[in-house]
Amino acid sequence: MKVAILVAFLLQGAAAEAPLPDAGKEARAQTLMRELRCVVCENEPISQSTADIAVDMRRVVRAQIDKGASDTEVRQYFVDRYGQFVSFRPPTDGWGMALWAFPFLLLAGVGGLVGFRTLRARKRDLTPLPDDRGGGPDA
Amino acid sequence: MIAELGHLLAFLALATAAAQSYLGLTTGGEAPRRLAVATGMFLVLSMLTLVISFVRLDFSVALVAKNSHSLKPIIYRIAGAWGNHEGSMLLWCVIMAGYGGAAALFMRNDRLRDRALGVQGLLTLGSLAYLLFASSPFTRLADPPLDGGGMNPLLQDPAVALHPPFLYMGYVGMSFVFSIAAAGLINGQIDREWARRVRPWALTAWSSLTIGIALGAIWAYYELGWGGWWFWDPVENASFMPWLVGAALVHSLIVTEKRGGMASWTVFLAVLSFCLALLGTFLVRSGVMTSVHAFATDPTRGLVLLAGLGVAGGAALALFAWRAPKLPAGPEFDPVSREGALVLNNLFLSVGAALVLLGTVTPMVVQWLGEIKAIPPESASLSIGEPYFQLTLAPMIAVLLLFLPLAQAAPWRKADLSPLVKWLTPAMVVAVIAGLVALALGGWGIWLGFGVLVGTWVVVGVGFDLWRRVGGGGVGRVFRLPLTVWGMAIAHIGVGIFVIGATVETATRTERTFPLAAGQSAEMAGWKFEFLGVRPVEGPNYYSTLADVRVTHDGTTEIINPEKRFYPVADTSTTEVAIRKTLGGDVYVALGDTIRDQPGVWRLRIAHHPLIDWVFGGAALIALGGFMSLAARVRRRAPVAASEAPTVEPSDEKAPAGVVA
Repeated sequence: MKVAILVAFLLQGAAAEAPLPDAGKEARAQTLMRELRCVVCENEPISQSTADIAVDMRRVVRAQIDKGASDTEVRQYFVDRYGQFVSFRPPTDGWGMALWAFPFLLLAGVGGLVGFRTLRARKRDLTPLPDDRGGGPDA
Repeated sequence: MIAELGHLLAFLALATAAAQSYLGLTTGGEAPRRLAVATGMFLVLSMLTLVISFVRLDFSVALVAKNSHSLKPIIYRIAGAWGNHEGSMLLWCVIMAGYGGAAALFMRNDRLRDRALGVQGLLTLGSLAYLLFASSPFTRLADPPLDGGGMNPLLQDPAVALHPPFLYMGYVGMSFVFSIAAAGLINGQIDREWARRVRPWALTAWSSLTIGIALGAIWAYYELGWGGWWFWDPVENASFMPWLVGAALVHSLIVTEKRGGMASWTVFLAVLSFCLALLGTFLVRSGVMTSVHAFATDPTRGLVLLAGLGVAGGAALALFAWRAPKLPAGPEFDPVSREGALVLNNLFLSVGAALVLLGTVTPMVVQWLGEIKAIPPESASLSIGEPYFQLTLAPMIAVLLLFLPLAQAAPWRKADLSPLVKWLTPAMVVAVIAGLVALALGGWGIWLGFGVLVGTWVVVGVGFDLWRRVGGGGVGRVFRLPLTVWGMAIAHIGVGIFVIGATVETATRTERTFPLAAGQSAEMAGWKFEFLGVRPVEGPNYYSTLADVRVTHDGTTEIINPEKRFYPVADTSTTEVAIRKTLGGDVYVALGDTIRDQPGVWRLRIAHHPLIDWVFGGAALIALGGFMSLAARVRRRAPVAASEAPTVEPSDEKAPAGVVA
């Protein structure tokens, strides 16, 4: 079924890349196009490539969104065919989760440590330093 | 003859650099100073001979034969001298020795300078040895060709001609920051005085890096033809990591200089920024990744760079491990204070750098694991791009920026926030209104609203802080604030403008591709584009297919000319976009390919990039702010150097000397 859609759109050749009539759907399609990698280009998303295959991939994205596919389903459609490489959004399952969580865990961990040490050493009787010269970084 | 002279000068520099490092690290005094100046001079002259060879089109020099061509315009012949691996390595050495020579001329004569010159001499020696024995730009050809091989036409562009010098001023400038850090560690002197003397070099390097990165982004925007200015490409990330660490460094140096605090952290950042610059160079040159900018790739070069990174980084970290535990902690401060705010800044910026490192290296590691069959090949490919960084780094930086105006207004040691909050409330109100307006105009994207809110808060909040500093009186007095305050304010306002531009551009840019035959027209966002056809045009060293597009908007009509150029010497094509600037942003037209099976029908990619100039303008202001802080330092340098004492606030008698040796 999905292959049929792909073939149908390939056969249409140079039909105009008309945006989807529904503005919300078109916006979703555009976002997805920025997240999918043109498979013959060097590090370009399909939204920006002028390669023929990118044109076809854009059509497939629009067609699937138009059919009511969710963002995840569209991504999965391409990942199934071209591998994880095609998606600039790393997976959120398994090790991928660690990748997504790492920055926030690191921030929380280091921040917690620094915060704890600063608070423990906190003195109650500190007063602000009077600043002269406008209080710039060099004051 | 001239190439041999350049070669000889580089060998002379090798000898003086060796002597400079030995004498700098041992006896010190006048000798290493003179040698550092000589190393710098020899290399500048050596670079000059290479530039002369390029300008004169001396095709008996292998590098010129490979990278230049008689039809190339003069400015790109000059830039061609560093638009290749060997020439850019020479530029690297020139800038590295140049920093050493400048330090020899401008730094006060003492053990810190001597040892910094010694370490810089070692780094220069290593780079020069690599240049001369592994990638010499002066090799002659026995049989010179009649004409050269040309240059990658994508690089035939003014922004990218200036991009390497600025980028290297930044990257390689971090080497001198590294050298003073190593010298301070050897001397066992990491204190306020040390920080005061590092800061001008850190500011120079970091501000230059800002300009270098921005020039690269501008080039990507109009030369690569897809209208993106930042793509989270590994090469871009490679320059962004030292930038983030450098930004953390120029802030933590303030704490070390003014309060004597965070000394070990500051020196760690100083070492790390150069290590990341080396890592970045390794990623770019070794061919371990695919990238639109991958440049002069070669695996063996990668190994040499990796070894250099290991030696320099390892030695510095060993020094650090030896000295850091004995560094004093600095005077106490309340978490709610300027010190606390700068700790927060460093926390977020360094976690940001770690995040970018992870996002850049993981796909390469995964690919390598697949190659050695540690993981099944079908799971051995991974891309980490815009969605990842937009959902991790962007919110993190946005949260950090929410603190910026308060941080800038907070006093040292302890801050009473309530009067500051009261003073800055109108700025927050303005920011919330701006965020809501952006939401209403831009289609209710939550990130758009938040980004505009944060950016406006920073810009207006910084303005209110300046007004507060003159007591809320006559606004004109704001302009009499010291240069150092203005440097900070301009850089912070630049950050705010950048954030507004970047969010609005990313969230609301529109792009569409239209297949058009001559005479057909397309409409987008109130603009009408009539495709009049293409015609062949001949340039100095290329053949162009030039399109005429009649643009109509608000009753005004104009013809714009996107092009596709073919460079026969290099056998490559480039896209030259046509950009029509308006107050609200750029209208951007790129000529694509013809459509298969339909001769005469061209793909025209039309895009609208709102507020794009705010992105580049913001970056320019950040760099300007950095240079203004530097200027403030240089202007104040004379009296401070005369008294030879760090500025100590009268109420701060407890500030430790910090000498541990």
